[in-house]
Amino acid sequence: MNKGPFANCPWMKTTCIIVEDIQIAADFLKKFCEKSDLIAVQGHFLNVEDALDFLDEYKPDLIFLDVEMPGANGFELLDKLTYSPKIILTSSKTEYAFDAFQYNVNDYLKKPFTYKRFLEAVKKVQAEMTLPAIAPTPAQAPVMGSDTDFLFIKADDKLVKLKKDDILFIESMRDYVKFVTAGKSYITYSTLKNMEEKLAGQAFVKVHRSYIININKIDDIRGNTIYVQGNTIPVGKGHRDELASRLNIL
Amino acid sequence: MQKVDGNRFVFNERLNAAFLDELFEGDTIYAETVFEDFLKDLPAYWQKVETSYQSKNMTALKTSIHTCKTLFGYVGFTDLQDLCQAFENKCADMTGDLAADFSILSDKKLNAQHIIENEYNRLRKYNESI
Repeated sequence: MNKGPFANCPWMKTTCIIVEDIQIAADFLKKFCEKSDLIAVQGHFLNVEDALDFLDEYKPDLIFLDVEMPGANGFELLDKLTYSPKIILTSSKTEYAFDAFQYNVNDYLKKPFTYKRFLEAVKKVQAEMTLPAIAPTPAQAPVMGSDTDFLFIKADDKLVKLKKDDILFIESMRDYVKFVTAGKSYITYSTLKNMEEKLAGQAFVKVHRSYIININKIDDIRGNTIYVQGNTIPVGKGHRDELASRLNIL
Repeated sequence: MQKVDGNRFVFNERLNAAFLDELFEGDTIYAETVFEDFLKDLPAYWQKVETSYQSKNMTALKTSIHTCKTLFGYVGFTDLQDLCQAFENKCADMTGDLAADFSILSDKKLNAQHIIENEYNRLRKYNESI
């Protein structure tokens, strides 16, 4: 890929930034990027805050993201992203693999990693970048029951039947949504917009760009926060009127 | 690989030589840079470990040990990485007496630093000779 006459042109390469507080680790990444001739490094940031300022403005294709750094960690950066770059997490721990899956990161490199492993990750990301965005397939998207009391979601390699009345709220996780019930959470490949359409007119209301809530499960509302069985859900400014109109306020 | 027939650089047996060979792919010039950076960076990072240990700041101690653990990996001290990880877990759990573990870790770190100093000097001489 990009090994032709324009191989050294930055505009033909995948643009990236490195968010890494350990200089040796960052230097290795820079060296690997240069050696691959596939990636143009636009910047190296020692902390999440500085990286976010840059990301908002320049929106590189890819982020090599360390998890544990002084101040905010890598997952906090993912929570604050305003667009969807490809993400390769870099960590010396494997414990974050599950979180990485939940955040839909594209690959996970355990530090220190070799050039061979780096190249695998980069090629995987670049292959994904050339594919058109894939909409959830019928099998992956939640399937509504005909009596509308339940839905089926694909989670953990099986279709799980979920009673709608058991759902406390639904949380957006970029290309995935998380269904939270009293005892368990399920993550499936879908979008909050898709869920909003499918659950329209029922007990569910969108209260924030990242949350749909089951009105029947609300314990109380204080200010702009909804409390549901120990969970706190923010209410977005643009959703307050809709929420108020759906509540039975005496 | 930047091989010199019959004169390939062989890392110290205390280090994970197989991994270092894969990591540097025979680029002993870069290995020299990394070992030099390690020696330059480790004292400052270890100072943070000492300070947070003395002040019993477990969060800072965990973070600074985590950083040292990563550094040890880049010079092939994979066994020391495991020791750091165990210590990091203890800091996170905030259980048990850390004094004995910290003493062992400090000794091993000192020993590791000596090995890397020697290794850096060997790499420098090797690179000068090729």
